[in-house]
Amino acid sequence: MVTDISSSKTTPHMETPAAPATFKVNVPSSSTKLPATTGTLIDIDNLDFYYGAKQALFDVNLKLDDKRVTAFIGPSGCGKSTLLRCLNRMNDLIDGTEVKRGSIKIRGVDIYGKNVDAIELRKRVGMVFQKSNPFPKSIYENIAYGLRIQGQNNKVRLDEIVEKSLRGAALWEEVKDRLHESGLGLSGGQQQRLCIARTIAVSPEVILMDEPCSALDPIATAKVEELIHELKKEFTIIIVTHSMQQAARCSDKTAFFYMGKLIEYDDTRTIFMNPSNPQTEAYVSGRFG
Amino acid sequence: MSSAPTTPPTEKPPESAKAFPILKERTRFFGLTLDETIRAFFGGNAITAVVVLALITFFLFKEGSAFFGLNRESVTLYRKAGLEYVDYMRAQQESHTALTRYLFDIRLRAVSELTGKDGLSVAEANARLTAFDDFAGRYSDTIEPIRGMVSELTDVAVSIKDKYTINEDAKTERAQFLAAGMTAEADAVRIIEIDFKAELAPLVGVTPVYIETANGVATAITEVLASPPALPVPALDYRLTRFKELNRQFLATFPETRRLVETWDFQKPVPVLDTVTGFLFGRQWLTASFWQDWYGILPLFIGSLMVSIIALTLAVPLGVGAAIYINQFASLREQRVIKPAIEFISAIPSVVLGFFGIAVLGSVLRAWSQQALTLPEFLQGIPLVSWVLGLPLHALNAIAPHIPGFPFSERLNSLTAGCLLALIAVPTIFTLAEDALNNVPRSFKEASFALGASRMQTIMRIIVPASLSGIVSAVLLGLGRVIGETMVVLLCAGNRISIPDFSEGLSVFVQPVHTMTGIIAQEMGEVVRGSIHYRALFMVGLVLFFLALLINFFAQKIVRKYRISIG
Ligand SMILES: Nc1ncnc2c1ncn2[C@@H]1O[C@H](COP(=O)(O)OP(=O)(O)O)[C@@H](O)[C@H]1O
Ligand SMILES: [Mg+2]
Repeated sequence: MVTDISSSKTTPHMETPAAPATFKVNVPSSSTKLPATTGTLIDIDNLDFYYGAKQALFDVNLKLDDKRVTAFIGPSGCGKSTLLRCLNRMNDLIDGTEVKRGSIKIRGVDIYGKNVDAIELRKRVGMVFQKSNPFPKSIYENIAYGLRIQGQNNKVRLDEIVEKSLRGAALWEEVKDRLHESGLGLSGGQQQRLCIARTIAVSPEVILMDEPCSALDPIATAKVEELIHELKKEFTIIIVTHSMQQAARCSDKTAFFYMGKLIEYDDTRTIFMNPSNPQTEAYVSGRFG
Repeated sequence: MSSAPTTPPTEKPPESAKAFPILKERTRFFGLTLDETIRAFFGGNAITAVVVLALITFFLFKEGSAFFGLNRESVTLYRKAGLEYVDYMRAQQESHTALTRYLFDIRLRAVSELTGKDGLSVAEANARLTAFDDFAGRYSDTIEPIRGMVSELTDVAVSIKDKYTINEDAKTERAQFLAAGMTAEADAVRIIEIDFKAELAPLVGVTPVYIETANGVATAITEVLASPPALPVPALDYRLTRFKELNRQFLATFPETRRLVETWDFQKPVPVLDTVTGFLFGRQWLTASFWQDWYGILPLFIGSLMVSIIALTLAVPLGVGAAIYINQFASLREQRVIKPAIEFISAIPSVVLGFFGIAVLGSVLRAWSQQALTLPEFLQGIPLVSWVLGLPLHALNAIAPHIPGFPFSERLNSLTAGCLLALIAVPTIFTLAEDALNNVPRSFKEASFALGASRMQTIMRIIVPASLSGIVSAVLLGLGRVIGETMVVLLCAGNRISIPDFSEGLSVFVQPVHTMTGIIAQEMGEVVRGSIHYRALFMVGLVLFFLALLINFFAQKIVRKYRISIG
């Protein structure tokens, strides 16, 4: 019963779940159902990033599509999270970090430019973390928080957005009767979806997800993955993942990193079926990583 | 090795034991292994701590509990010897004296107004006040008949009490002789049983005279009040009106006093409960008095409370603010300087702080309070400001004289002690609050920032609320530290054993007080071991002890809740 649900939910968009014999992961056979992308949203150009004296990213060039899911894959410590956190300048919170060269442009605006307000940026580029981290507040207040700090205190409006966000995160049915109980009382998977709901409540354009399922069991993972499929209609999603199955199932494009360098970036199908770089091939076929 | 053992010998270890050497001979101390010794050491320490706590509690109880019996005896004698009877009248006399003081106070204010604002010389001012002085004199004289009675009766009552005390001493002496087997000497000790009824006869006999006198006094007061003088300072008229009102209230107590005097019975037993409430809610702590000793903890308790309130009012914003700054804003270098600096404060011996309080702080504060406090020019003459401060427009240029309690009358008062206690509480509050802030998971902060919150919003809406219970318990432990502090309050609180006058607003905070810790430190050295005073001090100690337990209990309870809320 359980396996039934999970398998049907993990691969909702696939016509044939059977894996090609040569690969360990299931790869979407086509992506024709997607609405047309409006083009590049985020343009990363020659990016060098440092933690103090230690360089973590080397000359990264990457164009991320609007309203698409892009997956970052690569072995531990290759700089996936670092790059992700560059996109909403969360690295600013760490002392000594610096973008020494290159730029990141979102809709043509350099987010490391002079007059950029990181707070405004983060309202538009939301983030979901590896470990679910709801605030020690009620479910309702967790979601209302992002709005309240923007000065929105209108009860009716808040109610509306809370419901919409919870529905958007496929959590509404499960929590609608306990909105005012602590968010910490939810299960791990629910907490992670609460965090997603909290993020979409401030209606960002981009949602960054740093291994959002690594602490979840398979069923909860399936739910989040399904959610990602729903969300990409409205949001541009960038997801870091350790699971190649997940990258294959969820993403439209995949970027493979190794030792702080971007090795290969292409359609997910291509990366998994027909990678041009031998390192990529070795990684996706599970020979190292 | 692979040989199948048919019957393995139990004495000799099997050969395989050599190949798999996991057996080891342990060194033993007194039959215990090293691990067990360490365990016993720490376990022993824990038990010692519990035993010591139990012993302290037991000891305090044992020494303190006899207080109630002794106090009951003391109060019984107070009644039997007629002191209580005399005190009814004395209370009346003292109320009147207080009212006379009120008149003096009016005079003082009038003189300062006349010489200050109106620019008169002192002689001129006095001349203007002759009518008032005459009135005050006549008023003050009205109580004379009762004062006379009280002083006569005081002598009678004291002599009865002395007789009783001498007899009690004689009894003890005889008992000691008897115990030592010295019968002859024991018989020689003269004991005269006191017939309280007979001794009290002259006292109770004056009841009719008193009633007549009291009536006379009441009439005299009414007469004097009927012709009040015109004050040369109209601004003080309201005080004179208030004086009349106070007198009306005073006269209204006469029938009650009369009833008390008439129905007084020296044989009425003192309820046991009275000695408990008399201690806990007694408004007087009066020792070594020729008349009657009272052991009421209230003035000391309130004193401790006042200095603690002042200390926390200052220390909480400072300590918590510093903790937030260090935890959230400070650079690494600032942290390295400020943290040890604050923690160092707790290393200063409190007697040194007390010395500083006496030598510097008290004087500085008083000098400051004597400054003419002026509002900045641009705020003067604005009706709104005058309304906010509740002062007339023309008084805005010198507001100091209008603030109650300014200038401070005493150099050493609860403010002086409170300021220094704040200094003592800050490190405790700072360190614990900083810990609490530090314990807030970093992920909360990140989540908040990722939602587009500013640093201030993150601090005020996420970090402080998440660590609130930790901060509250930090404050509670700071309070514990402050209540238990002795040296500073002993040196700087002014040591006046009386409940501060709460009628003049904020000025209560600049009156001298005495505290529970202070009184123990001050008096314990001089009391006779086992005396009622000695036991009373132990009771104060017991109250302190329970207060500390209570504070710690709540602090721990809150911390426990806080751990759960963080998850
Ligand atoms: N806060 C930090 N300070 C210094 N170095 C860091 C920090 N975070 C990550 N790094 C280093 O940067 C590199 C990339 O890390 P990260 O982006 O977390 O890798 P990934 O997410 O791909 O596992 C690693 O070598 C890591 O040691
Ligand atoms: Mg990572």
